[in-house]
Amino acid sequence: MNLALVAIVLAIVAGAVVAVSTRESAGAAIGLAVSLVAAALFFDPLPSAAVLGVRIVAALLAAALVRWAGRHGTRQLSALGWPGEALLATAAAVAGLGVAVGLASIGIGGGGPGGSGDEGAPAILQPASITAMALLVGAGCGLLVLGAAPLVHGRQSVRRAIGLVLVTQAVLLIRVGLAGAASDLEEVARAALLVTSAASGAALARAAAAAAAARRGDRDGDGDADADGDPISTTTARRPSTSA
Amino acid sequence: MTLFLLTSVALGAGIATILIGDVRRDLALVIGFVASVVVFAIALAMPPEESVVVGQVGLVGTPLVRAMTVAWSASLAVVSLLELEVGGRPTVTGPSLIGLAVGALALSTPDPAIAVTTLAAGAVAGVLVPGLYGWLDGPGSTTRLPTTSRGVLAILGSGLVAIVAIAWGASAAGPLGGTGLLQDGTDARLATGLALVTIVVAVALRTGMIPFHVWAARFMEGVSPLAIPAAFTWGTAAFVLAALDWSQVALGPTAAGEVERLLIIGLGLVSVVLGGLAAMLHDDIEHVLGYSILADAGVAVLAFASLEPAAAAAARDWLVASATVKTALAGWAAVVRAIYGGHRLAELGGWARRSPVLGLAFTGILVAAIGLPGMALFDARSTLITGATGGIGGLLTLAVAAMPAIYLGRIALSGIAPITAAVGTGPSGWPTWTGGRAAGWSGGPLVQAIRAVPTELRANRAPLMAVGVVALAAMALATAMGGAGG
Repeated sequence: MNLALVAIVLAIVAGAVVAVSTRESAGAAIGLAVSLVAAALFFDPLPSAAVLGVRIVAALLAAALVRWAGRHGTRQLSALGWPGEALLATAAAVAGLGVAVGLASIGIGGGGPGGSGDEGAPAILQPASITAMALLVGAGCGLLVLGAAPLVHGRQSVRRAIGLVLVTQAVLLIRVGLAGAASDLEEVARAALLVTSAASGAALARAAAAAAAARRGDRDGDGDADADGDPISTTTARRPSTSA
Repeated sequence: MTLFLLTSVALGAGIATILIGDVRRDLALVIGFVASVVVFAIALAMPPEESVVVGQVGLVGTPLVRAMTVAWSASLAVVSLLELEVGGRPTVTGPSLIGLAVGALALSTPDPAIAVTTLAAGAVAGVLVPGLYGWLDGPGSTTRLPTTSRGVLAILGSGLVAIVAIAWGASAAGPLGGTGLLQDGTDARLATGLALVTIVVAVALRTGMIPFHVWAARFMEGVSPLAIPAAFTWGTAAFVLAALDWSQVALGPTAAGEVERLLIIGLGLVSVVLGGLAAMLHDDIEHVLGYSILADAGVAVLAFASLEPAAAAAARDWLVASATVKTALAGWAAVVRAIYGGHRLAELGGWARRSPVLGLAFTGILVAAIGLPGMALFDARSTLITGATGGIGGLLTLAVAAMPAIYLGRIALSGIAPITAAVGTGPSGWPTWTGGRAAGWSGGPLVQAIRAVPTELRANRAPLMAVGVVALAAMALATAMGGAGG
């Protein structure tokens, strides 16, 4: 077991815990960036510099999009708080790790979770060992649990955008953990998917913030609240003009 | 190399069209139109079989890729012109070009994980852009934003579910890994059956089939009819084809046991029957369009019940042909709405009498949608239904073929009904010659004629749009006759 990989997995989960539990949108974006960049740095085997660049740029772009959406949006609240979120993530990660190691101990010959990559080898029950791929499955399960709650239950906001990004990243990690390293073209596609999920979540969060502010403005009867021209401000937002 | 060029042009132009669409609408649409024509030309020039290695993966151009990109780009070129004329925010051409790029990429890659990942990433724009613009245009609606959000989740969710299913299938510890984890035959069969059902659920999510249809139905209410094919037909067709290819290669025809077959057939037929009934009962032409697309998806999903090569070939024909037919129907709906302002049958009485060219186009769409024995669309529908349901398949095929005859027949009947006030006050569908020229201008006959062109174009907006629908209907007929090879 490579301790550097364990540290990276811890960073992935810790960043995600910060992202979903902090009240500050800037802090959430930083936590998300830490989590996504750590996931990009997970190496086994070490990817080429170009692939690493694609991964890191996609991670930072996704975090920047969420930050853009959160700048004027409503503040985030976690019903559980960070200790609860951290416990949930840890439990899920341990469960995922356990399943991956268990599967690997049965089918150790293959390239599955924890497998050696020697496909077609006979099934032999072997002592369990924690491998890089099993760690990835564990990290993916942790992110999945952290992202699922805001994605499913949260109203349209930055919190939901973060949930969407975390769930997407979780599935991408589990994919590599289960089926092995991706080709270069798939790395590009994975990066595009991550950025797309962040962009769509961020765009919807901005729109929801504008709609909420417009409703508040309507209730207040203050028709000139957007005099500064900023359409998505928490205090002064208005629906953008509808010129066709 | 043509494949790489096609993807690059479509992707670049699609992103550019979306980015500048809100500030320079006409420029964005012109870029989109030109790009569509360029992509169409590249698709026509594409050799039936070519390959290029990109990022360690060989992209292989096949006749299916060629047929799909030709049909998709040709209809998109016409749709972009219609969008230019219909007015409103540019929500169709940009997302469609992105969808076309990722669709071509997905269909040409042998790696199913890349295919579903790119399709999930590229298809979001088709829902997000029209959904957000629809929300901006409908300030009173409280459902448009949540509906767009659900649509985005459905598109991304279907992709993520498919990624997990494909990864599980590729895993050495999975049911297909050959590590002996599932040595018992029953367990292995259950696992492959579960993988098949999972990928079908992903397809159902992506296509908005019943019971995942609520967001799709609401989405169609708030967007331009032209945006509906981009969101629900072409990208969906590519996704279904990628999922079907994976199911055939990775799982094989034996994956569908009795229980899985019943589940898949039930899912498909529920969408076919209820979608068809909804299309027959609704008066709103956008709903007729939307529910008919849903019913078409129900027919396509029946291919998963057998996974035989004949069913897969029929699904290819069906998906390409039905996508072209529904694009033509969407074009008709958008033009009727733009010209006459109404979208309910009660408001559209006499539309065909007022615009015979539109009536001619609709006749072509009607024939293409129903199909005739010997036409690829009809045969594909028959193969898919009889392949899944066996003995009663013949009867079911006739019943399913009768559905478009009823719901499109109702629209056709309203076209020859007495002309309503809304249609009567709309512009005539007949070409007119105003003979006008710019005030205060004088010159020779040739220059005069050139100067008169914009005026005449404006005066003949309705018949020109109708000609565009005729072009779409002709494409629909061509693909209905020839299928994916047409």
